[in-house]
Amino acid sequence: MSSLLALGFDPSFFSDVWSFVDANADELQAGLRRTLLVSAIAIAGAFFIGLVLGAARAHRVPVVSQLAAVYVEVIRNTPILVQIFFLFYGLPQIGVRLEAFTVAWLAVMIWGGAFNTENFRAGFEAVPARLREAGFALGFGGISTFLNVTLPIGGRIALPSSINTYISVVKNTSLMYVISYPELTTTVLQVQALTLQTVEAFTVLAATYLIIVWTLSALIRFLESHLALPKAL
Amino acid sequence: MRRVKIGIVATVAAGTLLAVWGGVASAREADSTASLAAAQAKLPPLPADIRSRGRFNIAVKCDTPPFGYIGARSQNAGFDVEIARLFAKFAFGKPNRVTMSCVTTPAREPALTTGRVDLVIATFTYNTDRETRIDFSRAYYKATGRLLVKNGGSVQGLNDLAGKTIATTSGSVYDRWVKNCYKDTKLVITDGFTNALLAFRDGRADALMFDDTILLGIAVTDPTTKLTDDLFLQQPYGIGIQQGNVALKRWVDSRLNLMKKRDLFFPILKNTVPPKQVAPFSKNILRPKQTFAYNQGDITTVCS
Amino acid sequence: MNLPDWVGDVARYMLEEGLVNTLRIAGISLAGAVLIGVTLGTLMTIRFLPLRGVIRLYIEFWRGLPILVTIFIIYFLLPAVSLSLRFEALTAAAIGLILWGSAQVAEATRGAVQSIPREQHEAASALGFGWVGRHAFVIMPQALRRLLPPLVSLLVNIIQNTTIAQVIGANELLESGERSVERLTAPPPIGLGEIHSFEIYAAVMAIFFVISFPLTRLAAYLEKRLI
Repeated sequence: MSSLLALGFDPSFFSDVWSFVDANADELQAGLRRTLLVSAIAIAGAFFIGLVLGAARAHRVPVVSQLAAVYVEVIRNTPILVQIFFLFYGLPQIGVRLEAFTVAWLAVMIWGGAFNTENFRAGFEAVPARLREAGFALGFGGISTFLNVTLPIGGRIALPSSINTYISVVKNTSLMYVISYPELTTTVLQVQALTLQTVEAFTVLAATYLIIVWTLSALIRFLESHLALPKAL
Repeated sequence: MRRVKIGIVATVAAGTLLAVWGGVASAREADSTASLAAAQAKLPPLPADIRSRGRFNIAVKCDTPPFGYIGARSQNAGFDVEIARLFAKFAFGKPNRVTMSCVTTPAREPALTTGRVDLVIATFTYNTDRETRIDFSRAYYKATGRLLVKNGGSVQGLNDLAGKTIATTSGSVYDRWVKNCYKDTKLVITDGFTNALLAFRDGRADALMFDDTILLGIAVTDPTTKLTDDLFLQQPYGIGIQQGNVALKRWVDSRLNLMKKRDLFFPILKNTVPPKQVAPFSKNILRPKQTFAYNQGDITTVCS
Repeated sequence: MNLPDWVGDVARYMLEEGLVNTLRIAGISLAGAVLIGVTLGTLMTIRFLPLRGVIRLYIEFWRGLPILVTIFIIYFLLPAVSLSLRFEALTAAAIGLILWGSAQVAEATRGAVQSIPREQHEAASALGFGWVGRHAFVIMPQALRRLLPPLVSLLVNIIQNTTIAQVIGANELLESGERSVERLTAPPPIGLGEIHSFEIYAAVMAIFFVISFPLTRLAAYLEKRLI
């Protein structure tokens, strides 16, 4: 602390930040709630997209696998910000109108789904063939083998990388600033424009994202140590 | 990083040269450099730091036609941009002695408070709150709010707004005014005017609320729409100056007054807006016998 | 196929200014991110705890923030703290990408250096190399092989994230597209009084795809070949 003071750090800074939060509690809470809501919808959607398309890719289901590959490549190789512009500002020209809220969750869901398809494909493909053969030997059909063997094992392999994708989904909701959807970043910037408390505003904004992201990262490490597959596999 | 800076400077310089070469300045040729010098003889002098630098740094819009936009030849163009060039001519004798940088709406105030630029000429609406942080020149342009509606649509005036949806741009005076005064009205708020127009055209909004002259351009080209008779929210634009730079404010105000006296805004207008719009636009500029001043107080909280 | 008249001017502006700036920001950011990231990542492998803690914080901080927030901090917050920290939009965006990218590279480098077997260090020491010589001539050449695929992926990410500079008005490809859309919407003689957001944003996506797709293929190929 004394070294911080020597650097010209003002300890009243913390109380300034707190009074900023206190004075704008309603807006900030609403913004955070929208960030979490949009993230939750997108993560749930990205989970199902990844599961279904990842399985289709890993098992080379005809047509679906190829379409999934195109989807993954288009999304991975174009910036998500341009995808958001295209959905919100480009589509209305051809008559497709989406609300800001819809674009907010849809854009990050489509994006997260593409990355998750790759995560799950890699996870499913990492399941040793002999385990699936064991499933067939026990009399399971293709779908039961997938549900009872490939999914539990491959899903565990894919879990850390898919949580990484969900972390990026949360961070990418900040881009909804460009369509004025009042999630956390948009809200804090609006409050900052009114109050001109630049330092306080950006401190709160950065701290909130770091708390969310670091919590999720800790979750990955916890799951990695608790869900690790036995070495014998 | 250096290369980025050099790149920016080179780009802006190239754009400026192109524009000059393109002859955009032709309407002003009549006002020769010599007569401008004579007219300025008794006016306040340019602050020494800018004079010794030999050129202006001015922030303009690059996505807001007809005030500041990027023309078909990739050059900065528009009403505000032409004022910036004329200022360079006043100060240094040549319209290309200005480095123009593009600003977004939220970056305009920081551009001044952090000394990035000398002046902000970028559809900058005066308000008393902003006045506490930066200085404004005298008013040089006056926008008025209008409502664009569909012929025979459900909104035919401000009185019909309850329960309806209006499109406008984010952070604009219209955005704040509707939120304050028409609490039953829904808003579609967009980044940039094009997107507000899209929302209106494709039916996401029943009406489009924006500056008179911009909407007029739309109404002229789209016969299925029209402007209602309502006039609201007069918002004079000013030139932003760093707070406390009295010498620069005196220089700017005196040149704006000179432009008013010599009717120099009018030729700029003729060069930047479609011929059909010159007449309505000309009511919004300073002319020898036409003037206006800022509103005091926050117009967005005054409900009619 | 006949393209409409407006395409020529718009394409010229978007390619000559927007795309050039996009590539410029990407190039500078990649160079800066690799330089800082490889240095920090190598330092991470030294068992000197306080230093490692500081680098770890750097990595987690810049990886944890959305890049948009980092760029806002550089463009709006730093000048409010000190006027000497005032950057142009393009520069601010490049700094933001360097901070984020170097954190990614540092983490990858740490992993790559630590994956080199202990015997390699011992063999190099036996040959008389000091710490610097050992890392420069023995460990890094091997680690770089493992680092190459993630670096190519990073380049793809950096190229795509340059678009975030649009939000502070830097004239990269997306911003040049938006300016063109706004101009074309204005009535003649400025524009056409027509909205072309669909074509223009689709074109921006297509250009990014054409640049990124070969690079992601290359990254996948390198991953198979080098590891």
